[in-house]
Amino acid sequence: MKKNPNQQFAAQTRKALKEQGSNWSKNLSFPEAHALARHLSETEPPEKEFRLGIIHTYTSDLLDPWLHFHAVIQGIDLKTYHAPYGLNLMESQKGSGLHAHAPDMILFMLTLDDIHPEFSNPDPELHLCQRNNLLEDAVKRVLEILAMFRAYTSARIVLTLLPPIMPPALGIYDAQSAHSENIWRASLKKQLADTLSNTLESTLFFDMDQILADIGGFHFFDFRFWYASRFPFTPLAANEFARRLVNLMAISVYPKAKVIALDADNTLWGGIIGEDGINGIALGPEYPGNTFVDFQRRLLDLQKRGFILALCSKNNTEDVHEILDNHPHQILRRQHFAAERINWLPKVDNLVSLSDELNLGLDSFIFVDDSSHECDIIRSRLPQIEVIQTPSKPVNIPMCLEQVARLEILSLTEEDTLKTKLYAQEKQRKQLKQDANALGGDLNSYLASLKMKMHIEIDSRKNIARLSQLTQKTNQFNVTTRRYSEQQILDFIESDKWIVSSFTLNDIFGNSGIVGLALFHRLADEAIDIDNFLMSCRVIGRSAESAFLYAMLDYFARMGITQVTATYIPTQKNNLVVDFFNRHGFTPENETGHYKRDLSASPPDRKLFPPIEIEIENTDT
Amino acid sequence: MSVLEQVIHVVAETLNVSPSTITRESTAENTNGWDSLAHVNLMIAIEQTFDIALDVEDFAKLNSIQSIIEFIEKNVT
Repeated sequence: MKKNPNQQFAAQTRKALKEQGSNWSKNLSFPEAHALARHLSETEPPEKEFRLGIIHTYTSDLLDPWLHFHAVIQGIDLKTYHAPYGLNLMESQKGSGLHAHAPDMILFMLTLDDIHPEFSNPDPELHLCQRNNLLEDAVKRVLEILAMFRAYTSARIVLTLLPPIMPPALGIYDAQSAHSENIWRASLKKQLADTLSNTLESTLFFDMDQILADIGGFHFFDFRFWYASRFPFTPLAANEFARRLVNLMAISVYPKAKVIALDADNTLWGGIIGEDGINGIALGPEYPGNTFVDFQRRLLDLQKRGFILALCSKNNTEDVHEILDNHPHQILRRQHFAAERINWLPKVDNLVSLSDELNLGLDSFIFVDDSSHECDIIRSRLPQIEVIQTPSKPVNIPMCLEQVARLEILSLTEEDTLKTKLYAQEKQRKQLKQDANALGGDLNSYLASLKMKMHIEIDSRKNIARLSQLTQKTNQFNVTTRRYSEQQILDFIESDKWIVSSFTLNDIFGNSGIVGLALFHRLADEAIDIDNFLMSCRVIGRSAESAFLYAMLDYFARMGITQVTATYIPTQKNNLVVDFFNRHGFTPENETGHYKRDLSASPPDRKLFPPIEIEIENTDT
Repeated sequence: MSVLEQVIHVVAETLNVSPSTITRESTAENTNGWDSLAHVNLMIAIEQTFDIALDVEDFAKLNSIQSIIEFIEKNVT
């Protein structure tokens, strides 16, 4: 019997296991994984419930132990419903098992054969020539099926196609053939993914081929289970598929990660700048410098996903700046960091002050450092920060963030890709504000000097992903913290009873992107309720919230609305807006958190508007 | 651990039951939770634990503690 590695893992906490990524789990046997999951759920019961529904045309139940294992590691109490075998559209309807399960996510595990009857056509000749013509038809069929489900649920829909069991019909020659199956499959995937992102909200095409590529075809399929039980996966593939699925769940149950705070020495380069100097550190085309170059490239990739980078290093500022500015192989330059703390203060203090400067909560930070000492301090002093200690072997450094679930993304907006730039603009604004204060200027003249223009859009369908993202990510300036999926936002936009209003802010330093959102529920002809009112922390301190609220109240007054109600629901994080409605002419109703304002008695007063030029665009008419 | 104990441990772990409920006389027929799905997981578990390779033909035969023990004693050196 193999030596049981469970004792080694069972001695660790869930958090410590999670922090190590899940690569270690590849070597666990099935009973070992099972025993570890049982042990962890007894010692640290998972706190976050997540409901998964699976529609499948091949065996999915056998994934359960693996899903359970990874869910437990991520602290998720996973409840899974497997629909009866087959692509049964009845499952989409009210009264079905799936509907009763009320899933947070619906996973479609399909094969190519399921999405068009011709694909299962046994005549290979017909297959090769006609397949191209069938592509559009197939994509349309998938879309129709998913739309049926979408009509009854706001759950995230995840679609995945099993990679082909057989190699291409033409074997090695496939790549050169005009009828290449591999190329055809790639274009099918592209069309499917494009169609999903353009037509259905909260839908993800999950490319299982990537798992096949990562672990290799010989290790992916087990033909015995496939032919005997229609279960395609080896334990290795099942484990990896489950891990990635659970990562998708972890992104939605945990606070969004926003900041990657990086140590410098032995993290961004090998060696210590203060001792080794610019010519002595390992950074460049040779080993081990090339591993650090690749790690920096990967950090840039993460920036493209919308995470912002910050430096948190115990060093002399000028030493680090010399590398950032002048080292020929340094990839991350000064402009890539939204903020930096390069000093000799404790990193705990620096992380707290970074959080203040960026206006982002500590629970949105991921801290990366090579020092176990620093990592331990942050773990114990700032437990809300996710800590990743870089591996001691340089070859393992470039991939060390690949397993961090919260660094995966489910959507990508224009704001995400520009984020660092937006924070850099904010830094300049703060500088101007300091300068203005130093000159004894008042707030209004500072605001006027920014020459702000606010563009408000009402019921626009253009940026649903961003609007949903704002409800999901915004914690501080958020009066009710009600979170909405893309589908729910779309439903509000299409409803007569709801008004969805968002704004962008332009000033002399640049455009903010969409940073504010308000949802209004029309209760009657003359009455409206503010269901939510939120603003990204990026624009706090510029009176944009007042301009936005007054502009909307003015807009409603013109529509003949007189009664406006609002609610403040306190959370641990939104104390910033505790008196928001009080300060804007609303009357509190006792201590209930409810507010009201009668627009006929107290119409919005233009004189109170902050110095921001406002433009309203209603795209719903 | 004897082979019997090891097999009981693996079966109990896979079926998610207490080892005390599994004996040499346990079979798929008389054991709760030992259904066709659990059986596939059990085959994986036995392969990994005893480092042996099973054929599809073996799956159906290994439906009791006794038959699993005999198979392991014959195939594990």
